[in-house]
Amino acid sequence: MMSGISVNELYKTYKGSEEPTLKGLTFRFGEGRIAGLLGPNGAGKTTTISILCGIVRGDSGEVTIHGLKQNAAHREEIKQLIGIVPQQIALYPQLSAVENLTYFGNLYGFKGKALQQKIMQYLELFGLEKSAHKEIHKYSGGMKRRANIIAAILHDPKLLVLDEPTAGVDVQSRSMILQFLRNYNQKGASILYTSHLLEEAQSLCEEVVIMDAGKMIVQGNPLTLIAAHPGCDNLEDVFLHFTGNALRD
Amino acid sequence: MLRLLATIRKEWQLLLRDKTGLILLFVMPVVLITVMALIQDAPFKDYQDIKFDILTVDNDHGRLGRYIKDGLASGGQFNIIDTLDGKPVTAERAKELVHDGTYKISIIVPAGATAAIVSNANRIVNDITHRMGMSVSLPVKKNGDSLNVTVYFDPAAKKAFKGAIHQALDNFLTQVETDMLLDRIKQQLRNKDSIAAGNDTLPIRLQAVGLKEHSTGTAKQLDVVSNSVQHNVPAWSIFAMFFIVIPIAGNMIREREDGSLLRMKLIPGSYLAILAGKMLFFVGICVLQFYGMMLVGTYILPLLDLPKLVMGQHPGATLLVASGIGLAATAYGILIGTLFKTPNQALNFGAISIVILSAIGGIWIPLEVMPAKMQLLGHLSPLSWGLDAINDIYLRNGDISYVWKNVLRLVLTGLAMLAIAGWVEKRRLN
Repeated sequence: MMSGISVNELYKTYKGSEEPTLKGLTFRFGEGRIAGLLGPNGAGKTTTISILCGIVRGDSGEVTIHGLKQNAAHREEIKQLIGIVPQQIALYPQLSAVENLTYFGNLYGFKGKALQQKIMQYLELFGLEKSAHKEIHKYSGGMKRRANIIAAILHDPKLLVLDEPTAGVDVQSRSMILQFLRNYNQKGASILYTSHLLEEAQSLCEEVVIMDAGKMIVQGNPLTLIAAHPGCDNLEDVFLHFTGNALRD
Repeated sequence: MLRLLATIRKEWQLLLRDKTGLILLFVMPVVLITVMALIQDAPFKDYQDIKFDILTVDNDHGRLGRYIKDGLASGGQFNIIDTLDGKPVTAERAKELVHDGTYKISIIVPAGATAAIVSNANRIVNDITHRMGMSVSLPVKKNGDSLNVTVYFDPAAKKAFKGAIHQALDNFLTQVETDMLLDRIKQQLRNKDSIAAGNDTLPIRLQAVGLKEHSTGTAKQLDVVSNSVQHNVPAWSIFAMFFIVIPIAGNMIREREDGSLLRMKLIPGSYLAILAGKMLFFVGICVLQFYGMMLVGTYILPLLDLPKLVMGQHPGATLLVASGIGLAATAYGILIGTLFKTPNQALNFGAISIVILSAIGGIWIPLEVMPAKMQLLGHLSPLSWGLDAINDIYLRNGDISYVWKNVLRLVLTGLAMLAIAGWVEKRRLN
């Protein structure tokens, strides 16, 4: 049984689109790692994450998460394993953090005092305890991002998937979020992370996949990749080396 | 069950914070039904309920003029006005006042009208007695011109109104002529038979077959007529219930845009339970709206001098219909929220489509007064199914056996809309 995340020969063309979004994408991340899925706009990162989570179905190919094939038979089990932090703040702006987290906690089947205790612990951990009852639309960008992460980890997922979790946040919030991810990973959870902030990815990820036009271009440890490519001083140089300087839509 | 209850609580929390939505759902409909019931009160009233002033010029001063004036006044729907500023109304003045819209109708009884009727009756009696071999001859006017009772109508008067007045006057003329004729016949028979002359009780009945109104139902009858309140309160309540489409569609689109829909779908367990919670909540709101508006019709509108709403004798059937309407409206909101990408698109389409469905569905004016083709089209509107069912309960004292077909139509349409929404959402993801 293959642990971690395995994507093999994955193809996907959306209805009405002539160009495939994924063209035989293949990569593998081991369990318990912090992995980065990097690529320019339109590379297919969001589609890949959507297929991993079971929201979108691939046309062909195989996806395995912690030994479970992503198909109708295992979709619910995989949902229990995964926590996703979407790029949008997927919370109700008119509700407070506590109301949002109570609702999503209830959907996971948690209730009562145990759920409230857990919510308060996380709010404290993320520095939101004083704003626990404030409506989300009154939060700053950084506070919203932190609340967004809490909603994804209420069920203690073994795999946390984050799509640009630090986009548009201040330095303090970013530092806090990255430290949390390291700590969460140390408890044994796998983390799959996408970002356009390559410096951040370089410092956080043990392994990255750089993809473009629906295919994997290169995979490896960021420092190893930098060393393997003469003239590249950091992950951004490696990224540009493989994806080029042409502007993307 | 936890998912369902949590979703109901979440929707409740969201609604409580949406002040505009609350006003749209609960305050606007109350204003709407009140305004509509008030402005449509007069057109809905029967002629008996409205009193018209009739300028009457009696140049005859005989039996016909008296008959017409007494007959019109006895019905209770006309005020007979034959003097203005203490002076008798003249034909010219009456014509002017009707033409400029001060009065709706004027009736001019010409001089010699009664004499003309008497003369005509005498002519008929003379003819009959002559054929019977009798030699009696009653006085008859020679070369009498034909006379007409002249009626002036306000140019803005409706055709139906004119027709009703014509018919009433025609009846009075016929009645006077018949009375005169019978009078003359009786007189001749008395002259012929001197024995009967002392106590003439000749029974002549002209109306052997009369008219009597009976109710159609077999159950306990309601003393209800279709009036402004009986039509407008249920009709505009259904219209307002369908306006729940706007908050639902906005809610669906926002959930999709901000990613909370995605988060819900990523959580293990069926999304159907969440959808069911959402449906139950909004159907509940619709039912609440419905009964809120019925309370306005029952207790508030009578304070404004309008009739009291009568809700029939089958509350269970009413609840069933209200729930059916709520389900169809909620499903329509979910469909619109799924089909459109922005709240603006959904708002425009949702609002206009409801206005169209309500117009053809008999909400604005009853289907019965629409052209035949529009009536056929109107019967395809879910709003008309709801209104038909409510009318069955309120006006025909119907129970569930009367309304189940329309409720089934509403429920099936709701389920079909949900199925389409599900199919569209699935296609969108892939």
